[in-house]
Amino acid sequence: MMKVILRDVLKSKGVQVSESHLDILEQRWQSIQYLKADIEHAVLDDYDIALTSTPGGDHVE
Amino acid sequence: MSRELVTKSVEELAPLLQKRELSPVELTQEVLKHAESHNERINAYITITRKQAEEAALQAEKEISDGNYRGMYHGIPMGLKDNLYFKNEITTMASRIHGDFVSDFDATVVSKLREAGAIFTGKLNMHEYAWGITNNNPHFGACRNPWDTEKIPGGSSGGSGAAVAADMSVASLGTDTAGSIRIPSSACGIVGLKPTHGRVSKYGCFPLAWSLDHIGPMTKTVKDAAALLEVIAGYDKNDPTSVNVPVGSYMEQITGNVKDLVIGINEEYFFNHVDSEVEKLVRQGIQHLVDQGAKVEEVSIPSLKYAEYAEMITILAEAATIHHRNLLTRPEDFGQDIRLLLELGELPSAVDYLQSQQIRRQLKFDFQKAFEKVSVLITPTLPIIPPKIGEEYADLNGEKVDLIDHIIRFTGPSNLTGLPALTVPCGFKEGMPVGLQIIGPAFKEGTVLNVGYAVEKTNPLKGRKPDLAIS
Repeated sequence: MMKVILRDVLKSKGVQVSESHLDILEQRWQSIQYLKADIEHAVLDDYDIALTSTPGGDHVE
Repeated sequence: MSRELVTKSVEELAPLLQKRELSPVELTQEVLKHAESHNERINAYITITRKQAEEAALQAEKEISDGNYRGMYHGIPMGLKDNLYFKNEITTMASRIHGDFVSDFDATVVSKLREAGAIFTGKLNMHEYAWGITNNNPHFGACRNPWDTEKIPGGSSGGSGAAVAADMSVASLGTDTAGSIRIPSSACGIVGLKPTHGRVSKYGCFPLAWSLDHIGPMTKTVKDAAALLEVIAGYDKNDPTSVNVPVGSYMEQITGNVKDLVIGINEEYFFNHVDSEVEKLVRQGIQHLVDQGAKVEEVSIPSLKYAEYAEMITILAEAATIHHRNLLTRPEDFGQDIRLLLELGELPSAVDYLQSQQIRRQLKFDFQKAFEKVSVLITPTLPIIPPKIGEEYADLNGEKVDLIDHIIRFTGPSNLTGLPALTVPCGFKEGMPVGLQIIGPAFKEGTVLNVGYAVEKTNPLKGRKPDLAIS
């Protein structure tokens, strides 16, 4: 079931998935989801700035 | 003399070259001959550039004869990983898609090495696009570990690791996004340094994941790595991630004195689920430092439990973005393993990616807090011994574990934090080298190198070399 969902999601993004990859893709995606389950309980500081962008070029000289 | 010559480190060769007791031409010829005769077996080089190397060696010889010696890397022959651009030469990224790519400029690290008088012997094999740890390359063939040619050299800088270990290159550079300098260095029994993010310019290096990539030395000794870092380090306005922090004299900081050094140990993450023999060797290495006057303190780094997820999502999302167009238009031109990872990389959401950046920030704070108590952290570099070529699983105390998930467990966190991390050999398990990792505070490369030197002084490899190099 998961395999079909993954194939359809990727197809909708224009990615032609190799059929021989579907089993491993499913296995790898599941192991990422397993790790993600822990993150749901992580105390992340949502109001802290985790992403930055420097104005005026890449470096402040 | 010639066989002995190629086994020497930069720190041994440099005084001979400086005093003109050895000619760069003679040294280059010997290294080229050795590389050519062993490349069929090791496959460390994608291309050996004999003609260019011979010309550069003649020029170095003239400069040194004229009294213009430039420093430790003047006249040193070395191959570089094939994702570093050389002006008007092919740089393949070990891929089919970039098989005939020619850059019109040198990577910053290449031009710095040219200025230092290094002699380039060729382009080294790697995992395709630097994304993988086996170096089993579908387009250029598998690179082999000189300690056991049936085994992987680690990756992605496997050609650099194998070439240095087999004396086919006196020193080299690797790139490291989840451990790609430290994994092959550990597996091949050499020294590998991933400097602080921003310390070495990445301009002219084909990216794998912008926020995780690093370039660093892979060498026979810690002093060779320190001297190479002095050559390649420094601010570069062409690299948006470059940081303008003065470059220190790393060689001067290598004294071997570790008296009063406080070694941090994190049992919960870095000593959990480790091959028992590897663990024993790393703890033995720590004990050697304690015997020299260092102290040990346990530290807690709570957010490490999220590190594997953050590393995985960040690398998948960034790499998939870089290769997105080619995945849509010519997927069959990627090797199967890379194609699968790129497909996987299309799946995480923007929220997944940004949460991973939140985790990275937390991780940086946790490490910073740990470094208020300790000078460095010591860990095993790898929890396992790299397996045979073609195997996707590794043995961990009798348990069959996924190779890729496990091999990056202890190296990945330093890519997320950007902190400097060095691997040095600390012994052997069943004839294969084992590495010990030293992680330091930001821009404290001198400290990690000094601790690495204190480990190296205990002679953990007992002077052994791969049979191939001395046969």
